[in-house]
Amino acid sequence: MKFDTIIIGGGLSGLASGIECARAGQRTAIISAGQSALHFWSGSFELLGQAGGETVITDPLSHIRQLDADHPYRVIGADRLRALLGRVPGLLADAGLKVSGSLDANHLRLTPLGFMKPAWLTLSDYIALDADAPMPWKKVALVNIYSYLDFYPRFLAAGLAKKGVKCHMGTVNIPQLDILRRSTTEMRATNMSRFLTNEAVDDLAFKINEVAAGCDAVIMPAILGIFSDEPVERLRRAVKCPVWFIPTTPASVPGVRCQLSLRDLFIRLGGEFLPGDTVKRGEITDGRLRRIFTVNLGDMPLEADNFVISTGSFFGHGLIADMEHIYEPALGLDLNVSKGRTAWYDKDFYAPQPYMTFGVVTDEDFHPSFHGRTVGNLYATGALLAGFNALKEGSGAGITLATALHAASRITGV
Amino acid sequence: MENTKDYDVIIIGGGATGAGTARDCAMRGLRTILIERLDFTAGATGRNHGLLHSGARYAHTDPESAVECIKENIILKRIARHCIEETGGLFVSLPEDGLDYHAAFIEDCRKAGISAEELDPTEALRIEPSVNPAIIGAVKVPDGSIDPFRLTTANVMAARMNGADIMTYQEVVGFLREGTRITGVRLRSHRDGQEREIRGKVTINAAGIWGHHLARLAGVDINMYPAKGSLLIFGHRINNMVLNRCRKPGDADILVPGDTICVIGTTSTRIPYDQIDNMEVTPAEVDLLLREGTRLSPAMAWTRILRAYAGVRPLVADDSDPSGRSISRGIVCLDHTKRDGLDGFITITGGKLMTYRLMAQEATDLACRKLGVDRKCETAQVPLPGSDNTDDDRRRRAHIIELSTEQKAAEERHGSLTGRIASNDDAEDALVCECEQVSVGEVNFAIEELHVHNLVNLRRRTRMGMGTCQGELCACRAAGLLERHEKCARRTLNDLASFLDERWHGMYPVCWGETLVEIQFTSWLYEGVCGLDTDTASPIGEQPLH
Amino acid sequence: MTLQQQNISDNNFESCIKCTICTVYCPVTAVNPDYPGPKQAGPDGERYRLKKPFFYDEALKYCLNCKRCEVACPNDVRIGDIIQAARIKYAKSRPSLRDTMLANTDFVGTMASTFAPLVNFTLGLHPVKYLMDTTMGIDRHRTFPKYSSTRFESWYRRKAARTQSLYSRQTAYFHGCYVNYNFPQLGQDFVRVFNAIGIGVRLLAREKCCGVAKIANRCINEATRDAELNLRSIREAVDNGLDVLLTSSTCCFTIRDEYPHLLHLDNADVREHIALATRTLYRLIDEGEVRLVFRKDFHKRVAYHVPCHMEKLGWGIYSTSLLKMIPGLEFVHLNPHCCGIAGTYGFKKEYYDYSQGIGRPLFDQILESKVDSVATDCETCKWQIEMSTGVPVENPISLIAQALDVEATMKANGVSIPPVAD
Repeated sequence: MKFDTIIIGGGLSGLASGIECARAGQRTAIISAGQSALHFWSGSFELLGQAGGETVITDPLSHIRQLDADHPYRVIGADRLRALLGRVPGLLADAGLKVSGSLDANHLRLTPLGFMKPAWLTLSDYIALDADAPMPWKKVALVNIYSYLDFYPRFLAAGLAKKGVKCHMGTVNIPQLDILRRSTTEMRATNMSRFLTNEAVDDLAFKINEVAAGCDAVIMPAILGIFSDEPVERLRRAVKCPVWFIPTTPASVPGVRCQLSLRDLFIRLGGEFLPGDTVKRGEITDGRLRRIFTVNLGDMPLEADNFVISTGSFFGHGLIADMEHIYEPALGLDLNVSKGRTAWYDKDFYAPQPYMTFGVVTDEDFHPSFHGRTVGNLYATGALLAGFNALKEGSGAGITLATALHAASRITGV
Repeated sequence: MENTKDYDVIIIGGGATGAGTARDCAMRGLRTILIERLDFTAGATGRNHGLLHSGARYAHTDPESAVECIKENIILKRIARHCIEETGGLFVSLPEDGLDYHAAFIEDCRKAGISAEELDPTEALRIEPSVNPAIIGAVKVPDGSIDPFRLTTANVMAARMNGADIMTYQEVVGFLREGTRITGVRLRSHRDGQEREIRGKVTINAAGIWGHHLARLAGVDINMYPAKGSLLIFGHRINNMVLNRCRKPGDADILVPGDTICVIGTTSTRIPYDQIDNMEVTPAEVDLLLREGTRLSPAMAWTRILRAYAGVRPLVADDSDPSGRSISRGIVCLDHTKRDGLDGFITITGGKLMTYRLMAQEATDLACRKLGVDRKCETAQVPLPGSDNTDDDRRRRAHIIELSTEQKAAEERHGSLTGRIASNDDAEDALVCECEQVSVGEVNFAIEELHVHNLVNLRRRTRMGMGTCQGELCACRAAGLLERHEKCARRTLNDLASFLDERWHGMYPVCWGETLVEIQFTSWLYEGVCGLDTDTASPIGEQPLH
Repeated sequence: MTLQQQNISDNNFESCIKCTICTVYCPVTAVNPDYPGPKQAGPDGERYRLKKPFFYDEALKYCLNCKRCEVACPNDVRIGDIIQAARIKYAKSRPSLRDTMLANTDFVGTMASTFAPLVNFTLGLHPVKYLMDTTMGIDRHRTFPKYSSTRFESWYRRKAARTQSLYSRQTAYFHGCYVNYNFPQLGQDFVRVFNAIGIGVRLLAREKCCGVAKIANRCINEATRDAELNLRSIREAVDNGLDVLLTSSTCCFTIRDEYPHLLHLDNADVREHIALATRTLYRLIDEGEVRLVFRKDFHKRVAYHVPCHMEKLGWGIYSTSLLKMIPGLEFVHLNPHCCGIAGTYGFKKEYYDYSQGIGRPLFDQILESKVDSVATDCETCKWQIEMSTGVPVENPISLIAQALDVEATMKANGVSIPPVAD
């Protein structure tokens, strides 16, 4: 089977480059081995939150010069970065995802444990605070759902109290969720969102109004709108003050929403999405990846003019560690990793972990290399790349999207 | 805050021995207080195999210990049923072990009164399919598994029910003395740094390896040598019977199924005394455990390792050897009046988890003699809380009627105490820890009744966070529940941060494969999505003061 | 050689990192609170069952075995297999008469097709449906698939067998119970399409039900016996240089993957020779070996539904690519979603509501799409979708047969053997 471009990996990075290629009229396929890390998304994309030991708020792009020379941001350069990332809000809008934020200044997102972290883009129903402005509320209602364990109003209240916001805590219950409560485990955000449609939303809003009387805003767990905006809009209409959502621990409703929306956009643009399949090997000759073989398609290889590999870090199995080695399992690409397992980690959990920075070796155009030779029609993007610690920098989504859009623009010439 | 109560006995050390001694003293009517520096089972008690020895392991090298073990084995099966699983054990001979030891071993077991049934290798493989098919001989013995956390908690509860006071996170920083008599202890709190004094007629040093330092504080010398033993925990049960190598006891020759997991160990290395609070499993030890372990059960080569840990055995110098170089075998109960002319002070050490009750009995007997109390020890007859149903009704019921999985799991953990776990509605049945099936009701029960102040305490009482994900899914849920009781968000968030760090300490020695995937995922969630970081992670509670 | 390799334990169950993604995609969790969900029922439960079998939870019977959890799992945990294997190993109750009957598709099929008009008439009667509902627990709302009075095998012997050996290339065909007893037309379409491109179709020496229904209903000994017979026949065909093609994604998935995973039968020697007809057809076209010519007067708006087992096989792309080759076919994409029938599951009274609840989002999509027909590679999906939406459902091979200009195709592939008559 022959495509113009094949993307290995169906997470944020793979979908972003896939969408751009398909939009440019390319026959494009995405091979996705299981669902992606996007499922744990907080509702905010980060660009650069920490640099040179400081929290970055204004003009994050100007801070990239504080990063190492081989950092993907430095390799792309600030100007091109601005051009590439400037397209992201539009891309998300095409998929039906409304975001706010700007490349010129970070805002603050409110985390599930009540901390404020710098962010670049945040979904429209999630909290994005202006770092310099006073808090928009004097008193908020922190509303949880009865028996739901993945929302922490008391931690949020402690975080908001530091900023002078008073919190009223309340729990609501609607009978439509009793069905989930009968299970000891399935009272999950994503499961609740399947039941919170139509009249159930009105009932929920009624209960929320009871609890939130006298408050400037309602802050509640992100448990609505997994498949569409409709339930969220319905709730916002029925609740008497603004409603804001806090992402929950896995899997998150905005994460699943984002994943499915981007996948659907890709398919609408004519892309082929192959779920649940794993690339097991590729044929690389004369510095070009000729074709790839997958577990499901067996002896029928997939061919393409260009390939993108966006398989992620260890979580996505873009990298695999055994007791002695780390390797890239799909194509056997050259890696930038430390030797010997004691060099993979720091004994302090909160120290920068070396393994977080491991990834494939690439040239300045993000072509990986195979046995020391650059593979000219292959691009590596996202968490599979080496040379950055997305967690410590608060840079994961920015790097993922920038490298994905870079690869797509090189391939399509757009 | 001054505790003006006048105690008969102060027991230092919240391991099995200290808790057992507190129970024994309280049952004999002594006014008792148990003092623990950190949390119960934080020392060697919580850092071993959890093996319910039949004594077979010692039958050849130390017949006296073997006899002690089988006697206590039988007693524990009576009094601590809910902490024990009667799995049975196999001693297997591999070609490189030969069969000479095997023959002597069966004879030695019989002499010690330990049932030892010789099995054909094929039969051994049939009853325990995980064993290396290369075995040339096998002997079945009544080994089993024992949960040291549960055992200690049950002893603490029994002590409390008999009137004992219990204090955790209180470190003894000095002794009160009048002339040649120890009359009490000076404590410093690990929570707020405050000091206080407690008075008692007799003080029992049951602090394991830390007893060496305590004795010195009291002005006497007991030479203890710390021997470190490292172990690995696998993600699930490979075996359902305890597996031993039938050879002279050596490294990595026991695989014990305990609750949902199994444990291979141990190594044995003498370490400097100043390292006893810095237990760390080295890569060489991990390699050794796997190399030897896969000989016992090849499945270890492809089973996920959850974590590695190490404990410290106190080896006590034999008083009869003036050079101080030979190590005493078995239980060491020192009457410091006789030994050093120091009144009101007893040290109980040596021994092993299996003989904790006997150690407690010896120490309590001595304390009673000093106090002029004449009460018989009943700890071998009276069941522990959790095992105190006269029949097995409840446990049988658990097997017959359709309980939910988490109710069955709770039943296995808390025995007859399970009834105290609230299960009034769906909210209380909801699972906090999905790997280990710990419900909201069980967490609340532990917080209210089992001396829980932080997440590590909660883990030890319930197994919350001990499963496959090592806290990824449950740590924040448990923190949310704990905060409702502690009512301090800042402190609970600190606690959450240090709990994850504590989990990581057991994971990094085995950080490859899915363990690395798991920890990357955990970091993304807690540091990334939730924003927990170094600033919030100032450790509390579990750090020693010095 | 390291001391620890990648995890290769049974079903990879301990590769589970507790990310909960599987619970998002489980169709059962969404409708049935008594089902513990794939994570609890699968890898979480397995640790406990390994500790003590008494931890087995009878609610595992609610699992549809759709494998959507496996497709979603980022860590390649065979969650569905873990659950089915646990049901086989630990469930205490024996299969009921009803379950045994539903499981024995080929026995019942043989009986029913012999008396097809009577059976079809009877199964359609309200009193009979009522009786089956109350006495056997087969839901009265369920429309039974019609039984054909002529079995596919009989048709093949009478009409097709004679000419098949004339073709220079040959393939073997595992038709399955549905084609044989209920819908021989699909088998006939398969023969016509493959004949038109110059490939003769042979039946296997003997063929039993693939076993999917027996596995689901825990008739494991019977399933294993049938599977062994099927594998013997398949081996014989493969030894004779034939590939074995199927028109049912579920039979195909069962023989390729469930035989080794759940029945512990080694099929590695023949597995790569067992394929869905659409995959092989696509390959032949892609490699330029054959050419299809379509009629100018064929016009249909068709939505493709990926059956769950097709999603797991990962071969939906072959069926959709073929459909997209038909000039008169207007292709409509459906978001993947379980239809809810899961073979015999949806026939059971106690699951009927769950079954319909699971399929609801798919039915709504289909009804909104305003298509002439739905294409899918699974017969039970066909029953469910037809019953629940009223929209006709056709196998892609049947749609190709309808759209095919047989004469022109024969010519393009140099075939001169006269086509098989009805």
